[in-house]
This record gives sequence, structure tokens and C-alpha cells, in this order.
Amino acid sequence: MTAPFIPPIGAIQEPAFAVPLAQPLAGSTAPAPTSFGDLVTGGLQKVSEQLNASQADLQGLATGNVENLHQVMLRLEESRMSFQLMLQVRNRLLESYQELMRMQL
Amino acid sequence: MNYSQSFAISATGMDVERLRVEVAALNLANANTVASADGKGFQPLRVIAQSALGGQSLDGGSFASLVGQGLAGPSSVVEPSGRPMRSVLDPGHPHADAQGYVTYPGVDPATEMMTMLVASRAYEANVVAMNIARGMAVKALDIGGAA
Repeated sequence: MTAPFIPPIGAIQEPAFAVPLAQPLAGSTAPAPTSFGDLVTGGLQKVSEQLNASQADLQGLATGNVENLHQVMLRLEESRMSFQLMLQVRNRLLESYQELMRMQL
Repeated sequence: MNYSQSFAISATGMDVERLRVEVAALNLANANTVASADGKGFQPLRVIAQSALGGQSLDGGSFASLVGQGLAGPSSVVEPSGRPMRSVLDPGHPHADAQGYVTYPGVDPATEMMTMLVASRAYEANVVAMNIARGMAVKALDIGGAA
């Protein structure tokens, strides 16, 4: 998951910088083979899938349908970590965006 | 993702130790069950865990690929421990044999206690290993962040 995020950071510079954060909702309009918006959408979808899976685990835990407590905890930890990874990526992007906005021309 | 592999390794260890505790609990639960006169009764069980990794040495890459295929963790088998049955003189018992002896499974409570204690410590060790792997991953997310 970390690998696909790294190369597009270089490619950010080409499109208008505000687009990437708005694009996931608007859909892929960029002619590039893998637009940055697609990457962000894909990463978000993966994180959301993991969060959903851990929610299903928690539901099983609440209804007593759990054969393995530590597996549930491990999956919870995994989804927490991927959420934090997503958060960190977002922080870096926002930081560089704000840096650009503050740039004096 | 790399850290989920080390999570999976710790999880296999936890699986084995949980199995050990379950088997010890089963032995204790059946410790005082009577065997029928023809000797059929509960047999104390024990867990034999074996590592898929033999004695061979591995370089980092082949170890990582083994871990990726889920082959690095231990596998476990539950088998009868073969301890001799325990005979107790109880002539009035409905299951007593001709000499008045009733047979019980050869469960040794002290051994089972030790098994559970060791398994619980090993489980804790696996949890600590997993937490350390998680801590390292969280630290890696801090790279370049505001200190």
C-alpha cells in the first residue's frame, strides 16, 4: 500500500494543485493512465474496506460469533494502522499544498 | 503490507498457545471421568507443535517469501499423551471391575497447570512481539512528521 502512494507525489506538480482533493468525488477526468485522484480514491476505498471488515468483526464479537479473539484484535490493529497511514499521507499533502499557497510570486 | 506479515507470525504463535490451554483445560475437565470396565474412557491429550522452518538457514529474501506464504509459523497436532490410567479402589462403584477398582484417566493436574502457565506466558510474549512490530510501524509513520 505504501508503494503506490510514493511515485505519484512527484506527479502532483503537473496538474492544478487543488484538484486532487476534489477529484475523488468528481470522478476521473484526467487523461493520465493513473491519475492522482484515482490513487487517492483507491487508497481511501482500501482503508474503508478494512474499516468495514473490522466493524463486521466487532459485530461478530458482540453477538458471540467469534472463534478467535486475537484475530479480531489483529485485524482491528491492521485497520487502525492503514487509517493512520492514510491520515499521514493526507497530512503531508495538505502541508505541501499550504506551503504552495503561501508561496510569494 | 509488511507489518501485517509480522502480525500473522505472532497470530500463529497465539493460535498454538491458545490450543495448548484449551487442551489442558479439556484434560482437567475430564480428569475425574470414569472409564468403562473394558478400559474405554478419556485419554489425556497433548499438543505437539512443530515449526515449518527446519534447521536450514535462510537469507532475508527467502525468509520474507516464506512469511508471505504463511509458512513460517508453527503447526500443531493434538494427540493422546499415552499416560497410564489411574486405578482407584472403590468396590461399591457401578463401574468397578471384578477386583473393585475403578479406572480414571491419567491426568496429572500439576502437569496441566504447568502447561497452562507456560502457554499463557508464551501467549503474552507473542502479544509483546506483535505490539513491538506495531510500534515500529507507527514510528515509521512518524518519519518526516512534525517532531
